[in-house]
Amino acid sequence: MDNNNKLKKIIGPVILVLILAFMISLPLFAQNYTIILLRTILMYVALTLSWVLFSGFTGYTSLATAVFYGTGLYTAGVLNGVLPLPLLMLCSGLISAVLALIIGTITLRLRGIYFAIFTLSSVELIKHVLNWYEINVLGVRGHYVTRVDYGTVYYILLAIVVLILITTYLIKRSRYGLALSGIKSCEEAAVHTGVNATALKVLLFALSAFFIGMTGTVMATGMLYVDSIIAFNLNYSFFPTLMAIFGGMSSMFGPIIGATVFAYLQEYLITRSPDAYMFIFGLVMIITILYLPDGLVGLYVRIRELLLQKAIPQIRRKISGGKHANTAS
Amino acid sequence: MVLLINIILNGLLLGGIYAVTAVGLSLQYGVARILNIAHGEYIMVGAFLTWLVHTKFGVNPLLCLAVAGPAMFILGYLVQTFLFRKLKEKTPTPAEFEGSSMLMAFGILFVIQSIAIFLWGTNIEGYSYLAYSIYLGDIRLSVNRLVILIAALAICLLFYLLLTRTRTGKAIRAASQDPDAAALMGININRMLALCFALGAMMAGFAGMLISLVYQLQTNMGMQYTIIAIIVVVLGGLGSIPGSLIGGFLLGILGAIVNSIEPGLHMAAYYLLFMILLLVKPSGIFGR
Amino acid sequence: MRKKSLLLFLIACLALALVFTGCAGNSNNSNNNNNGKALEDKDKLVFGGARSLSGPLAIQDESCFGPVYRMWIDEVNERGGIYVEEYGKKLPIELKLYDDTSDMNTMITLLEKSMVEDKVDFLLAPISTAFLHAAAPICNEHGYLLIGAEGGAKELEPLMAGLPYFFSLLNYATHQVDPFVEMLAEHGIENAAIIFIADQHGIEYSGDLVPRLTMAGIDVVFSRSIPLGTKDMTALLEEAKAKNVQALLCCAYPDENFAVFTQCMEVGYNPDVIIFGPGICLEVFPQIFGVEATHGVMGWGAWNEKSSPAMADLAKRLTEHQGGNRNVDWWGQAIYYAGLEILEQAIEKAGTIDHSVLKDVIATETFDTVIGKVWFENGGVPAECYPGQVGQWQNGIFEVVAPSDKATAAPLIPKPPWPTQ
Repeated sequence: MDNNNKLKKIIGPVILVLILAFMISLPLFAQNYTIILLRTILMYVALTLSWVLFSGFTGYTSLATAVFYGTGLYTAGVLNGVLPLPLLMLCSGLISAVLALIIGTITLRLRGIYFAIFTLSSVELIKHVLNWYEINVLGVRGHYVTRVDYGTVYYILLAIVVLILITTYLIKRSRYGLALSGIKSCEEAAVHTGVNATALKVLLFALSAFFIGMTGTVMATGMLYVDSIIAFNLNYSFFPTLMAIFGGMSSMFGPIIGATVFAYLQEYLITRSPDAYMFIFGLVMIITILYLPDGLVGLYVRIRELLLQKAIPQIRRKISGGKHANTAS
Repeated sequence: MVLLINIILNGLLLGGIYAVTAVGLSLQYGVARILNIAHGEYIMVGAFLTWLVHTKFGVNPLLCLAVAGPAMFILGYLVQTFLFRKLKEKTPTPAEFEGSSMLMAFGILFVIQSIAIFLWGTNIEGYSYLAYSIYLGDIRLSVNRLVILIAALAICLLFYLLLTRTRTGKAIRAASQDPDAAALMGININRMLALCFALGAMMAGFAGMLISLVYQLQTNMGMQYTIIAIIVVVLGGLGSIPGSLIGGFLLGILGAIVNSIEPGLHMAAYYLLFMILLLVKPSGIFGR
Repeated sequence: MRKKSLLLFLIACLALALVFTGCAGNSNNSNNNNNGKALEDKDKLVFGGARSLSGPLAIQDESCFGPVYRMWIDEVNERGGIYVEEYGKKLPIELKLYDDTSDMNTMITLLEKSMVEDKVDFLLAPISTAFLHAAAPICNEHGYLLIGAEGGAKELEPLMAGLPYFFSLLNYATHQVDPFVEMLAEHGIENAAIIFIADQHGIEYSGDLVPRLTMAGIDVVFSRSIPLGTKDMTALLEEAKAKNVQALLCCAYPDENFAVFTQCMEVGYNPDVIIFGPGICLEVFPQIFGVEATHGVMGWGAWNEKSSPAMADLAKRLTEHQGGNRNVDWWGQAIYYAGLEILEQAIEKAGTIDHSVLKDVIATETFDTVIGKVWFENGGVPAECYPGQVGQWQNGIFEVVAPSDKATAAPLIPKPPWPTQ
């Protein structure tokens, strides 16, 4: 029994190490397009994890992902050639974080659906104001972005994902994690226990925006041309949210699996059957939510339970029945 | 002064459309707690059905509400009974249901839109209907928009009467206020929810019909109307039918005013006003 | 303790990564397309690319370039294919298109997939000016020819020298604005108002129109931008009407153009000249609003069945290919078709599908196409090659009205009144 527990403790990190090592060495033997595709998938993983970092902890549904992602893209366009990429990423991350601080501070009173819709409108507001400013004040639309090779982009994105994972892990383990789970279950109670819930909430929002902004800047280097309409696309608000629900938010792996499967499925359908892509994609979404209410992670849990409760004991019985029929405990 | 009256009138005329697009969504959210992201798709289908019947058979587009309304009603009823009801049975907490129903609505959006693209393509379609103005002194009134405003008010009024004066309407309202108590009183909640969702979809069909009178149609137009509808609903207070009406007119007038000052910023102004209002009074104008 | 285990964790990752790398060895595969290697036998030419089959840009695939490439591929395959000398036979065409859902990142990803993984033989251009801006440098880097379709990327002009593989097909604003302003001046138009979409297209046209109108002595009353998705333009139209503006120039997309058009009728504003951007040049326009209401409305373009027998035949074939549905774009479709003909002729002239050879052939030779002789100068088509720059709907036909040497009818100025209800 003791041995079994120890094994369980080790198995998780070992799998993680294996996956990460595989991901790090992948560009050296994978085909070129695999890296290009993984770049998009990693982008979605980063966005979804960042979304979960805020919304998963606090229970607030944020649809502001496109604001921060767009800020990242757009900053890359405006400051292209002015700063080297690492500084540019830091810069757009900080701008996104500041934006998040502002949005977070003024929306303190809003809860639930109101918060979601406020953040949704902020995407459109920023898009239209920037667009108007570009056209009427600057007299240009769109900015070129210097291209960075896909391998570099891949590693940067991988690093961002790892960074978000570590951050999430550390927060979960710290006393703030406990305070945050307090916010989620009952905000008022959390306030009474002396936790500065609002400050914590806003800071977390800014932290998640920081990562999203950096991701945006990295992705811009593969897009070459950015303008306000392309940058502030509502899809980037909806998709991470859907991916997180799709994967299941009960575990840290849920969003990763959700984003990966969702993004890969999208690519698969678009390339294999461009005409039926939307139809099948929609059906998959409906079926998943109907039959897997806890997301893909829920499916995993269910399968494991099934195996543990039925299949494995049966196998054990068979084995023990065949070999050690006499020494049955 | 005349200019101001013209602007406000124009806003009122535009607001009628916004109000009708929002009423259905308001009902669906108010009673069934579904933020129906696919609402605009029902509007799109309603608009295309109207266009189809009008151009193929030469039927007066206003009469096409006899096609668009019931068709959407049936679609809504089916979607609720076969999809959202099942989902609700599987997700115990309301918060979870809010998230997962949005995902499902997104799936429905994809399915409806893909079928529409298959049927009607992605090209722009439309027809011209009563595109001229009548004048009362210096005050100009677009005839087609006037028709829309009257139709919108009539539809909303009938709908309001249905909810407040009939037995079914009372049952729906009871179900929205306290589902458990309503169930104890012998109201079939599932039937009420389905009815409610179907009525919301029917209103979307009507909205589509009205929109097709003035604007051109495209199979991807749904999302923009969904967003307008969400804004109007929140502006007026979630679940409040008169609120949606007032919210729609407010948005229409505001749009017309900004449009006459700086047209380049009128979309931004919509969102800005909406966000400010949300901050000042989060529950909307008519919210409880 | 936690920090230590985290460190251990990362070290383990890196170590394993090294091991993986060691195992992988030097199996790096090269990505150059069809050059360097010995010629393998081919039995078809694959045309790939990313087009917007859904999303806001999808309307253009269905009404502009889409019908043309589909018809052209069918026609070529009926002939048995394109003759390529280095293979000594005709190669039929296979289409392998992806849907970019009108999203920039998806478009780039899929374009790369076409070039890197599918190794398609030729690419079709993506939709819209912004997408061309992004696609042109990438294709150039991979050594793939890209012949632009929907999208007149004038801003790309200064970069053109560095993009030898990119050719811009459609008219620029500069091509069209000159003959248009000339025509206005000839007919004694004194003032004009501009409504433009807050987009590359709007900036390009309004930016060209304002100085040229002023130079021609035409007063620009206002030049206002409208955001994408604007529905109600009546305030602007009332302003133009109140100020007796003689020429209304609306540089927007189909959605907004159609809205401005109906709202002009609503407001009862009938300027002497009214011109619109893309959308008005589509056959769908009179189909929706009727021949009477569209009589006298101008649009950029243009070509029609009277331009030449070859173009009349093209319009007939396009209609037949779409099952009798006369879904024709009287601005671009003849030009897009010419672009495909240029590619076909270049392949036959060069006798190879090596893009580095083809690009030089296209850049230097003159081609005989459906719109007449066409050649490229600095990656773009010179103005005299186009069948027309300004069109006007007259009794249900999109007549070419400028420049005068290409005109199929005299311009109708002032525009006749709107039909009475």
